[in-house]
Amino acid sequence: MQKFLSHSQFQTEEIAERLAKTLHGTEVIAMFGGMGAGKTAFTRGLARGLGINDGVSSPTFALVHEYEGRFPLYHFDMYRIGSYDDLYSTGFFDYIENGVMLIEWSENIEPFLPENRISITINVLSEQEREITMEGAAEI
Amino acid sequence: MKILAIDTSASPVSAAILHDGVLDGEFFLNTKTTHSQTLMPIIEALLKTTETALSDIDVFAVNAGPGSFTGVRIGTATVKGLSLPDNKPCAAVSTLAAMAYGMPYQSGIICAVMDARCMQVYHALFRLKDGSVERLTEDKALSVEELSSELCAYSEETVYLAGDGAELCYRTFGSQHPNVVLTPQNIRFQRSYGTAKAAEKMAAENRLCCSDELMPIYLRLPQAERELKARLNQNP
Repeated sequence: MQKFLSHSQFQTEEIAERLAKTLHGTEVIAMFGGMGAGKTAFTRGLARGLGINDGVSSPTFALVHEYEGRFPLYHFDMYRIGSYDDLYSTGFFDYIENGVMLIEWSENIEPFLPENRISITINVLSEQEREITMEGAAEI
Repeated sequence: MKILAIDTSASPVSAAILHDGVLDGEFFLNTKTTHSQTLMPIIEALLKTTETALSDIDVFAVNAGPGSFTGVRIGTATVKGLSLPDNKPCAAVSTLAAMAYGMPYQSGIICAVMDARCMQVYHALFRLKDGSVERLTEDKALSVEELSSELCAYSEETVYLAGDGAELCYRTFGSQHPNVVLTPQNIRFQRSYGTAKAAEKMAAENRLCCSDELMPIYLRLPQAERELKARLNQNP
């Protein structure tokens, strides 16, 4: 387990960018952390680390956004997913092992996350500060 | 009778033409490319190389499920489209039946299993005897553990595990069932040949449908009843 203290959105992005450099292309990255924790900033950094320069936005309505970088990146938002059927019908299981999957609101699908995954928990310490915990990731 | 059969129910994609019970041709790909990009070129190449016109096809068959959500939709949508213009009949083949029809070369029980994640599988049992296939149980979703107890009733016969859940099942309960055999890789998975063979039987039994009626077959997992929402993490 690795812990990081971020003092700004910019630092959060930088930490994610470093994580991106360690990826091999089929990782499932589950993010935990409420509204405003910095999940989108983290995603932006990770995408940049994979060589993706398109604007990254939360797929709240589309459920999944796809980006082409060093590896394909599938960015999921599980905020509106409430049942196995919901999850199945996003095609979630079809994406596994076909690219890097980055999942916002992993809380909602926890029983169905693969065991072999990277978990990112972002805790809000103050308006600017965040504690970022990574489990299952390579040393960054 | 010419049957064009396709399978996109899991990660590989395949298409076959069966002509009066004989395989004219079959294409199979197992790359990471999505079915929506590979399926039509495969069908086109198969028709071209077997010198078959689309209008020569009498029945369009597809593994309509169970299987991957997207895969099953791509397969059924394609067959709907191909069969619609000339109003040709379609066969909505069970992916699990296609597996059994793909290997009726000896006697025993085929236990077709597809991995539905989280230690759950889609499954059905078939008996193979003298080159024919008899269905023993309906397609259903259940846990690997439940499947293991179900197999106790067949301890006197050889049970062949097929499908992308076969290895998982063999690893989990193989040691408890000495009569259970893991089929070799090259015949373990569903392929369009089996789909065509199953469709041939359906045609003989008058179980074809029209383009409009063809629908994906989704099986509900017992676990689906359970709500997922975990308490959200603390943060204000």
